[in-house]
Amino acid sequence: MTSKLRLGILGCGAITRVAHLPAALSHPEVELVALVDRDREGAQSLAKSRSIGCHISSTTEFAAWELDAVINALPNSLHAATTLQALEHGVHVLCEKPLAISSSDAEACAAMADTCDRILAVGMSRRFVGSHRVMHLLLQESVLGSSLGYSCSYGGEFDWKSASGFYFSKSLAGGGVLIDFGVHLLDSLVDWFGPVTRLEYQDDNWGSGIEANAILEVEHSGRYGVVEGKLQLSRTFPLRNRLFITGTEADAEISLADLDCVTVRRMIAGERVKQTMRLEDYPHTSSFYKQLDNFVQSIRGNEKPVVDGWQAAEILHVIESAYANAHRIPEPWAEVGSEILIAATEVPA
Amino acid sequence: MNWLESPILVTGATGFIGGRICERLVMAGAKHPRAMVHSPHRAARIARLSIELRPGDLLDRDSLHLAVGDAATVIHCGLGSARGIVRGTRNLLSVCEEARVRRFVHISTAAVHGLRPPAGSETEDYPVRLTGDGYCDNKARAEQAVLQYGRRGLPLVILRPSIVYGPYSSWSTRLIEDLRQKRVALIDGGKGACNTTYVDNLVDAVFASIENDSAIGKTFFITDGEFITWGDFILRHAAMFEREMELPNVEKQRVLEIYKKRPGLFTGSFKALPRILRSRELRQLLLQVPLAERLLTSLWSRMQSLSESQQREIRARVGVQARPSDSSPEGVIPDEVTFSTQTGTVFFSIERARRVLGYSPRISFAQGTDLVEKWLRFANYI
Repeated sequence: MTSKLRLGILGCGAITRVAHLPAALSHPEVELVALVDRDREGAQSLAKSRSIGCHISSTTEFAAWELDAVINALPNSLHAATTLQALEHGVHVLCEKPLAISSSDAEACAAMADTCDRILAVGMSRRFVGSHRVMHLLLQESVLGSSLGYSCSYGGEFDWKSASGFYFSKSLAGGGVLIDFGVHLLDSLVDWFGPVTRLEYQDDNWGSGIEANAILEVEHSGRYGVVEGKLQLSRTFPLRNRLFITGTEADAEISLADLDCVTVRRMIAGERVKQTMRLEDYPHTSSFYKQLDNFVQSIRGNEKPVVDGWQAAEILHVIESAYANAHRIPEPWAEVGSEILIAATEVPA
Repeated sequence: MNWLESPILVTGATGFIGGRICERLVMAGAKHPRAMVHSPHRAARIARLSIELRPGDLLDRDSLHLAVGDAATVIHCGLGSARGIVRGTRNLLSVCEEARVRRFVHISTAAVHGLRPPAGSETEDYPVRLTGDGYCDNKARAEQAVLQYGRRGLPLVILRPSIVYGPYSSWSTRLIEDLRQKRVALIDGGKGACNTTYVDNLVDAVFASIENDSAIGKTFFITDGEFITWGDFILRHAAMFEREMELPNVEKQRVLEIYKKRPGLFTGSFKALPRILRSRELRQLLLQVPLAERLLTSLWSRMQSLSESQQREIRARVGVQARPSDSSPEGVIPDEVTFSTQTGTVFFSIERARRVLGYSPRISFAQGTDLVEKWLRFANYI
């Protein structure tokens, strides 16, 4: 039997508490060796609450702890530097998305992984939900037909209890809803339909803040020809939370309410039929467990990372291009105020 | 010096009114606008702006010292928990007094007179009396605390808006959802006084309160100055739907009779318990208890470790995804808060605000609801 991988988790914020830690603790080939967080007491309390006996520290001791691998779940702005440091120490890295807040930093990480011959996997957990694979199969088998297109809207009032609150700092997060959640969707869409060849982007960043709403019109060119689609993302409004793909033969829908299945609607003998499709033998484990398992098996040489550093850098290129060419979403309800103010300030005291 | 040149702090900045004040400060070119943020995860709207986010908790004086800092103006929209309204406001007042804040604008509410204000309360001179409603009474007590600090020399202004609506307002988003679910009835034809205040009109009044020294120490009702009824408000929202809506009418007397027949204390409590246990509000309160926080976090972690379909099944079983139905054999019957709110007869006067502040509502009800409709469409509510 192969020995267990000695794993450290860097960053003990919300995503570690709800996703990475449960996955690591339940994986039979992983031994959790260390929890690292700038808030050492918080990390200590987390370890205690789950009865974990491991190193707790505010700094990472790659060599002293004999780490084989780390999960990098620090704030976005720290991803690249910490990943590079770990790789240089010969440690495999599963880095939370986005791998970096610039594509050049992401490429540097990917190149370092190649140079050091270490595994760098990027935490695009949506690749591990059942619907992602089912959609691949539907497209491969031409179930939807040709002339593919999509519309995608995901959003709701932001409710992620980030421990550090880095989400709303441009310098720490790198951006708003696009880099945070859009990165998942773009990654899936590029995986299905190929590289982005054209992009129109609008958001509601008022200048030096970060966007809460984003609208993208995207064109891909890949194995299914030219595919056009539209994405709408929000941190302030509840949207329909679904991805809808249309084709000449059928339509397919993935809903946030059940990410393991795809609903297909098509005509059969003149009748409109709806089918719910899911992988029959897909393990009942979380997407984060499957992601960790892919990482472990990649280190063992049994698999390849589903998303590596180069793929993550490609998506960051798209996001950078969007931010660089952003147009402001018209907000007529917000513009009214400035006219009012001018009048109000003219009132004599 | 122009007040926009000096540091300005907005409490309750992640809320509907505070968020719009922050936007308007940025649009007006405020040099040092600061938003006090208690719950960082709610800051998505104001994080779009060029505004400094300062952590702060109204119940934590140390954090308030850091948040207020050298602010010359403090606009207090923050609420905190129901029981924290008064204590939080007192804490902030005391810190502002120590910091020698030059203007403190307190966003109070016309509901200091209760959900159904008594006749005579049209003007600001009418005495405030506690009515038994938790929110109204706490806002009334907070106002008293503000006046007390005013008497001690803190230069402050109290604004009492009524039904503040606009983009992001839950008055509109909830109403749209309730209309969609056919949960809305007009009470006595919807003739109750609505006292709408379009949010930008309120912000005008806030800015005028800062500029105008003759406002210091005074209290002002702020509304749109139109005689808008609840029928007007509800029907305007109903008209936003493509299909025509016929709203049921319910007589006030009939509602009162139905309330009388409702289950007694024990039966009613027993029936309400499952809904309360599932409620988000209770979860948020429980998270303040360390032991409960640990238990809930652990349960949440375990939930997240399950597959999507397992999570969905559990949610369905405990009923988290199902919204409680309001259908009843008696038809649509408003809850008691809605009933009280929508059966008032008092239209508040804005004459003092006009005279002292130079306040003049710029956005009419027709314009305001048009803007709301544009926003609701953009935000996919309709």
